[in-house]
Amino acid sequence: MRSFGFNNLWLISLLWLYSALLYSQSGEMVRIKGGDYMPFIKGQTDQVLVNSFWIDTKAVTNADYLQFVAANPQWSKSQVKRIFADENYLSHWNLEQEGTGRFAELAPVVNVSWFAAQAYCEWQGKRLPELHEWEFAAKALPVENQFYDSLQRIISDWYSNRLRNNFEVGSLYQNTYGAWDMHGLIWEWVYDFNSITMNDDGRNQEEMPEGLFCGSASLNANDATDYASFVRFAFRTSLKGNYSLRRLGFRCAKTAD
Amino acid sequence: MKKETIVLLWIFGVMALNLTSCKDKGFSETEPASCCSSSPIMEEAVTDLPDLSVYHLEGSWKNQLGEQVEMIDFAGVPVVLTMFFSHCEYACPLLVHDIKEVENKLENRKDEVIFVLVSFDHKRDTPERLKLYAESQGVGGNWMFLHGSASQIKSLSVVLGINYEELENGQFAHSNRKLVLDRDGVVVFQQDGLQTKAEPVVSALTKLLH
Repeated sequence: MRSFGFNNLWLISLLWLYSALLYSQSGEMVRIKGGDYMPFIKGQTDQVLVNSFWIDTKAVTNADYLQFVAANPQWSKSQVKRIFADENYLSHWNLEQEGTGRFAELAPVVNVSWFAAQAYCEWQGKRLPELHEWEFAAKALPVENQFYDSLQRIISDWYSNRLRNNFEVGSLYQNTYGAWDMHGLIWEWVYDFNSITMNDDGRNQEEMPEGLFCGSASLNANDATDYASFVRFAFRTSLKGNYSLRRLGFRCAKTAD
Repeated sequence: MKKETIVLLWIFGVMALNLTSCKDKGFSETEPASCCSSSPIMEEAVTDLPDLSVYHLEGSWKNQLGEQVEMIDFAGVPVVLTMFFSHCEYACPLLVHDIKEVENKLENRKDEVIFVLVSFDHKRDTPERLKLYAESQGVGGNWMFLHGSASQIKSLSVVLGINYEELENGQFAHSNRKLVLDRDGVVVFQQDGLQTKAEPVVSALTKLLH
């Protein structure tokens, strides 16, 4: 029995280590030091100051989201209000309350609306990242010695659909800020996706921002990252808050003190 | 079985348990918000509203008299809804003018409609400021100017499909959209632009008044 007691102690410390490791994986955030950056949409001179913020290192997974739905049944498939999530909401889930659906638990949750994503983040004491925060975090290059060594390659592979579905979060590439899969896995909601207004006085909202379509000097059509920005911004303008789309998920953020 | 094997099996067993229980606990750095989240959309929704009712948005606003107002308080009455801000120099005066046109064309039925103008500018458009603005516009008691938090404003704008962005000079770039809500808070008509024709809005309202 004495040796068993020793084993026990050994086990407990092992488990402690193991769970520390586990807990650090999902919902883990990285602090990103703010700074000026040149947003895609503002033209070549406008610098935007992004304050320091925290962002989830990985997108929210199906397993994460299942927990949220269990704790907040108003966000289950059957109870959600259509004004907050369209009929495609969680359509890839077979069963909403059990973990037994055929979705991959560690794949990013998709088919979630902006309202659902926002509610999830608030439940976590977080919020959705703002557009400039997300873009700021996403522009960091992949860390070295990975299969993907450039954003261009990730994005061109993604757009040519060579990346398969149901990739797990944290499987594609990590950037130098420590965030995983900012490109190449899914599109992600941002808090102010509806901030893309047409022109400064809002007189004609049918007009799209000129920078988006007119190939302003800041754009280089040969640069795949700018092409990706183009597609990303155009995609965002097409969204409505209750849209639930097959390739659209999210991660959460927090304001840094 | 050897003792080592048993111990190893046990380790894997407990590890597997740990994996499952980890998912039950929530593993974020922050504890999930408890019961009383300030989110306007987290709380139990009113049950008998249609799924597409804007009034599922919960949360309390303040009107120009400093009174607490919830969206659901407008249920039962047709509403003309728009978003604006009072320091707006060009677009919003025209927007307000357009809505006054609608009110005028409603003639003797105008008191059966509520005109709700929600401000984008949560910092400057305090209830006091909105009161001054309402007075300067010379509008009646069926006009409601609302002040809310940044996140309330964001949620409402997303529900209504109104885009906006705060600019560095404190102004807002925004869509100019007027919406007509039925008695349940469902959007039955919307009109984009400025100096628009009042008739389509009036006719949408008239249908609701019969």
